[in-house]
Amino acid sequence: MPTFDTGHLFLTFLSPIKQGSTSDPTGAIVSHEQLVRATLGLLPTALQSPATQKIGENSPFARNRMTHLCRMFVLEDAVYNGRNPVDAICESLQGRDPINPQRVDRLNCAYLVFCADVDAVMDEGESLPETLDAAQQARARDAYLRKLWTTMEPELRLIYGNCTGFDGVDSAASFAAYMAKCQIDTTMPFNDYWISQPALSNLPTKPMLVAAAVPAVVALLGLIGGIFGMEKMFLLGWLTGWGAWGSFFWGAVVTAGVVYGLYRYVLANGQKPMPPAKYGDLPSVLKSLYLQQHFANFVIDQQGRDADTLHADFDDFLKQHRPGNKMAPSQAPGVISINAAGGVIEG
Amino acid sequence: MTRILNLDDIQGNVTRAYGRFSFPFARYFFLHIETPEAGRKFVDAARRRVTTATRWTEGTKPPVTFNIGFTFTGLYLMGLPTRTLQGMPEAFIDGMKARAFILGDRDVTKTEEDAGNWCAKWDPIWRDNRMRGVGGKNDVHIWISMNAQLAEPGTDTPVPELEEQTDWLRGLCDDLDQKVWIMKTNGQNGGEEYQAASAVFDTLGDKKIPTPKEHFGITDGIGDPVFEGQYPEDKEKVAVIGRGKWMNEKDGWQPLATGEFILGHPDESQELPPTAQPPNFMHNGTFMVYRKLHENVSTFAEVVGEEAKTYAATMGVGEDEARETLIAKMVGRWSDGVPLARVPTYDAWRAFRKEKGFEDPDPLKALGAMRAYLSSTEVSNFRYADDLEGFKCPNGAHLRRVNTRDYLDPLNTPGSKNPKATTQLNKRRRILRRGLPYGPDHPGGMTDETEQGVAFMAIGASIFRQFEFVQQQWIQYGLDFNQGNNTCPLLGSHDIHKRHSIPSDPASGKPPYYMSKLKTFVETRGGDYFFIPSLTALHMMALGIVDPT
Repeated sequence: MPTFDTGHLFLTFLSPIKQGSTSDPTGAIVSHEQLVRATLGLLPTALQSPATQKIGENSPFARNRMTHLCRMFVLEDAVYNGRNPVDAICESLQGRDPINPQRVDRLNCAYLVFCADVDAVMDEGESLPETLDAAQQARARDAYLRKLWTTMEPELRLIYGNCTGFDGVDSAASFAAYMAKCQIDTTMPFNDYWISQPALSNLPTKPMLVAAAVPAVVALLGLIGGIFGMEKMFLLGWLTGWGAWGSFFWGAVVTAGVVYGLYRYVLANGQKPMPPAKYGDLPSVLKSLYLQQHFANFVIDQQGRDADTLHADFDDFLKQHRPGNKMAPSQAPGVISINAAGGVIEG
Repeated sequence: MTRILNLDDIQGNVTRAYGRFSFPFARYFFLHIETPEAGRKFVDAARRRVTTATRWTEGTKPPVTFNIGFTFTGLYLMGLPTRTLQGMPEAFIDGMKARAFILGDRDVTKTEEDAGNWCAKWDPIWRDNRMRGVGGKNDVHIWISMNAQLAEPGTDTPVPELEEQTDWLRGLCDDLDQKVWIMKTNGQNGGEEYQAASAVFDTLGDKKIPTPKEHFGITDGIGDPVFEGQYPEDKEKVAVIGRGKWMNEKDGWQPLATGEFILGHPDESQELPPTAQPPNFMHNGTFMVYRKLHENVSTFAEVVGEEAKTYAATMGVGEDEARETLIAKMVGRWSDGVPLARVPTYDAWRAFRKEKGFEDPDPLKALGAMRAYLSSTEVSNFRYADDLEGFKCPNGAHLRRVNTRDYLDPLNTPGSKNPKATTQLNKRRRILRRGLPYGPDHPGGMTDETEQGVAFMAIGASIFRQFEFVQQQWIQYGLDFNQGNNTCPLLGSHDIHKRHSIPSDPASGKPPYYMSKLKTFVETRGGDYFFIPSLTALHMMALGIVDPT
């Protein structure tokens, strides 16, 4: 389940956009698809460029400390990639004329896509879990969606008001329930908070090779014995006393079983989520940004001071910036530095 | 088997840094084209003068060189087909002014609107270039460079052929009824016919000797990349040491692929660099960035002087040593060009200078020893994977930023050496540096306001991937070197980020040192992006037969 990896949920939701027309805030007649695009276009992004800082209105997703990254966009239709390639000779033998157009796949309607990389926790600041089963993942997802509703309900109403099935949603719980119906599996999560190489669950390739090779060798020796008309298996028959064809048959059966088992084992291993990075939760990331900036200033200020002053001042530094408390003081989400307007969450 | 290039077809400034071939003077002209017809006539006359990359013998080395390049608007005014023009790279189409935000020429913390008149300090020729709303009447279209040899050794005057060739250029524009004209708005006062440049000369008795220094007193222009086909095979073997790409112990240094610097040849990703149609128009051509870089000489001296006092007190050394050390730790080389990677401490450096004869009482002998050292492989032959912490050469030093060598090898881990590190992540970010210092050569009289600096040119197959990347990511930013937002201590903008960290080996018992009061020492005074066509392409342009179909 790549929806859960590295202690994060990689959520993907596809909500069908209503067909037909509506009116925008100016009273003009527009389609729901046009209206949702316009609403998304006006949604503020994070304050990470001079232009957005000047506007000063932060992204509504910066109102929580669970969202690492998210994206909303309209998926109008499946992308048409041209005709499926076919073998010209086969086609003409079957009497199919390429002049006839192939079927073109279409979506049944346009969809609003929402992708989000969030901490897989029940509340901000909890430590990231190593594993979560499907039910636990659903609970963490619902906790995130409820958080969104309580922090950005007006924006969500403006956006999702254009989506089929949203009309009855009027609470955090019903929003979570609605979105759960829209969720699809994420197939390719991406995450990068590693400061050292993660503990990967590597495959024990050598023991696996031995496990498969032993019955295969028995089968082979049995086969050779059988072909040469020997009663027992070739080479090792004196030791095991196994008959040639019997060894071949049972060796082959066991080999097939082992190979299938290993195949399942490799797939299952690949499905295991990566463990969370040590400081991969958003509050820790923000706190480290906060500390880095203050510590750099501290180092410059202390340059050339004697050891006693340094010791005393570092004590003050620890008291003021509290490295052990990841929630506060810290850098606010959605800003470029602690020097930006609203850049600090005070303790 | 090395690649054999059609050197008669490639312009000479691509393969040679003329300053290194005893051409200590230059004039850079910028011209405007009024009509394609006049442009074609101009190019037809000019192309016959172009100095190619052909190898020189004693008799064929010219007293003065001639090279030519075109901006995108210049190619447009030459009447090139739309299909050819639309295949040009977007950085080149934009031109340097439009890329100011990427290059850090414009304050990145402000919107374009709030930055207002951000290029107010640029020379008028560049301020007026690509100005919106005036129909391109002041756009720079053509770059012409002339480099000249010394008239007499021991003097600081160029050969008379420089002025003769300048007269020829003026005459050509007259013959074309000024339908192609020399723009006379160079310099801060906007009244110069060309940008003059010249090596900084030392006075020894009654003799003037050109030096490889720029106006901060730092030795410049060492370690230019070496690519396949640039040198004859025997010379290449030596030249490539420290200047090509490091493969492994067995293969050592190898020349970079030709396609990194000349279009139409395979590059380091084993592809042909993208070109516009028709391919033979761009084959053997390349791109060039021209940047006039002003040096704030007083500010540099003041800031280094002030930091040196703190450094001297913190480290318990003399102020002279502190000053020399700080400059070296900012640059990555001692002021005479000796790399920190090889000679890391002040004492070792003093000893090295004595041993090499740089401090010979006879100044001519000392100069000879210095020249011999600068043209040896020793000056370029080093790597960084044995110094990942930057104890010898700080990670944020100018030298480590602009040519990262093997520092970015993915398997490098701080705290341990990586003898297998290669330069693979650096080989697509190299530039050929050309140009000369400009401004007065009397060290006493320079201030921030006087005109001095470097007329800098960077040549490469992709301005975006090579020059702009190095400028944006490595000079104006520090993440790849674990330096956060810190910019290059020498070339970076220090309006906001004013720090440079100098790590110290804990074994030495000395703490690291942080420079924290940096000011902007080098400022752009303008420039643009140019296409440097092959001789074939110049002929095609002159004949009007560039055919993309």
